[in-house]
Amino acid sequence: MIPELEIIKPFSLEEAVDFLNDHPAEARIIAGGTDIIPGLMQGSKRFTGIKYLVDLQQIDELKEIIADSENITIGALLTFSQMINNDSLKNNFPLLVKSASTVGSVQIRNRATVAGNFINNAPCADSVPPLLVYNAKIKLLGVNGNYEMPLSDFLIKPYFTRLKTGEIVTQIILPKPKKEFIGDFYKLGRRRGVAISRITLAALIQIEDNKLGEIRLASGAVSPIGMRFFDLEQKYSGSVISDKLLKNISSDLGKEILKVTGLRWSSEYKVPVTQQAMYLLLERICSAHKQVK
Amino acid sequence: MKIKVSFILNGLQVTVETEAHRRLLDLLRDDLNLTGTKEGCAIGECGACTVVMNKLAVNSCLVLAGQIDGAEIITIEGLMKNGALHSLQQKFIEKGAVQCGFCTPGMIMSAYALLLSNKNPDEEEIKEAIAGNLCRCTGYKQIIEAIADSEI
Repeated sequence: MIPELEIIKPFSLEEAVDFLNDHPAEARIIAGGTDIIPGLMQGSKRFTGIKYLVDLQQIDELKEIIADSENITIGALLTFSQMINNDSLKNNFPLLVKSASTVGSVQIRNRATVAGNFINNAPCADSVPPLLVYNAKIKLLGVNGNYEMPLSDFLIKPYFTRLKTGEIVTQIILPKPKKEFIGDFYKLGRRRGVAISRITLAALIQIEDNKLGEIRLASGAVSPIGMRFFDLEQKYSGSVISDKLLKNISSDLGKEILKVTGLRWSSEYKVPVTQQAMYLLLERICSAHKQVK
Repeated sequence: MKIKVSFILNGLQVTVETEAHRRLLDLLRDDLNLTGTKEGCAIGECGACTVVMNKLAVNSCLVLAGQIDGAEIITIEGLMKNGALHSLQQKFIEKGAVQCGFCTPGMIMSAYALLLSNKNPDEEEIKEAIAGNLCRCTGYKQIIEAIADSEI
């Protein structure tokens, strides 16, 4: 059963922030509700003591998509379905849109929001690895006004972020990658539809002639939360592309993940599968690059 | 605390007094006696409770009464017009797409939402549209055929 609570529907961001600050322990934001409602239903400890759900649906500025020459900025209430149907996002951020199309089902994607995905910060949040390789920044609003933060700094550990009580994530800022960047997204679940990810990988690589320029790699589900591999990216940036190189990157990625997770009962198969999946992803990216040329 | 919620349900304006935290699913079944919408998993995975809200398929177990003010909601009961079954309902019968029937209302509402935005979906599009609706009897083949044959 869902515990008794009230739903507050503020008309402005200021009104929402004020309410959240007046009820710090008892109020929680609801966006799509696809995590919080089943959580309440199942009596999850993460959602105990909630007396007010602050529904932001009436605040139109949270649904806007704003494009300029450098960024596409999306409102925090944008649903996965709206993202999938947006041509400008499809053209500029294909990995993000691909990951969005693998989330849950049509019914879930019609409600669930991209911001909710990383604010919930489940290890398996599908859109997080693509957002990370696109160097997404987020805009937050609190009592002291607006500020920005890279998404990679915002995410702390499973189900925890730097979101402070009384704050709202209002926008996601996506810097458009230069055109030499090419990438792909990989998801492994137990089935295709309504599948919780077991492994997600995102790779975005700048390829110049036969060399790797900037490399951006991220994983999800197989790591405690969605994460980038900055050391690895540094190490291989500037390398000449070869089959051996792609194998080395993939092999190192597995070792890095093992360092973060520690040895688990599933490591024996998950590490080699992740390495192989990353290798195939990199191979696909490099051959797609050749075809474009 | 009771709140007043007004919305359009199957083409008719309705106003109900209910509690904000009640699920749309319970509101439909228990307060409005529309028991065509089924409860399956209650956590948004099986699709048995699918209804069409503002032209989109949604799980009614994941929508709260306090969120539906001003919405337009269509349930399986809203498809029949002037005593005649909707094309989807007719085709589900003709193609043998119904066995135990528990998933059928949700399946048809997902299909209805698909047809609202895409009048001639191909097989892949149909599969994607009903990927969030579990059927444990028919094996889906007849369901896909029924949807492919239906019109809106």
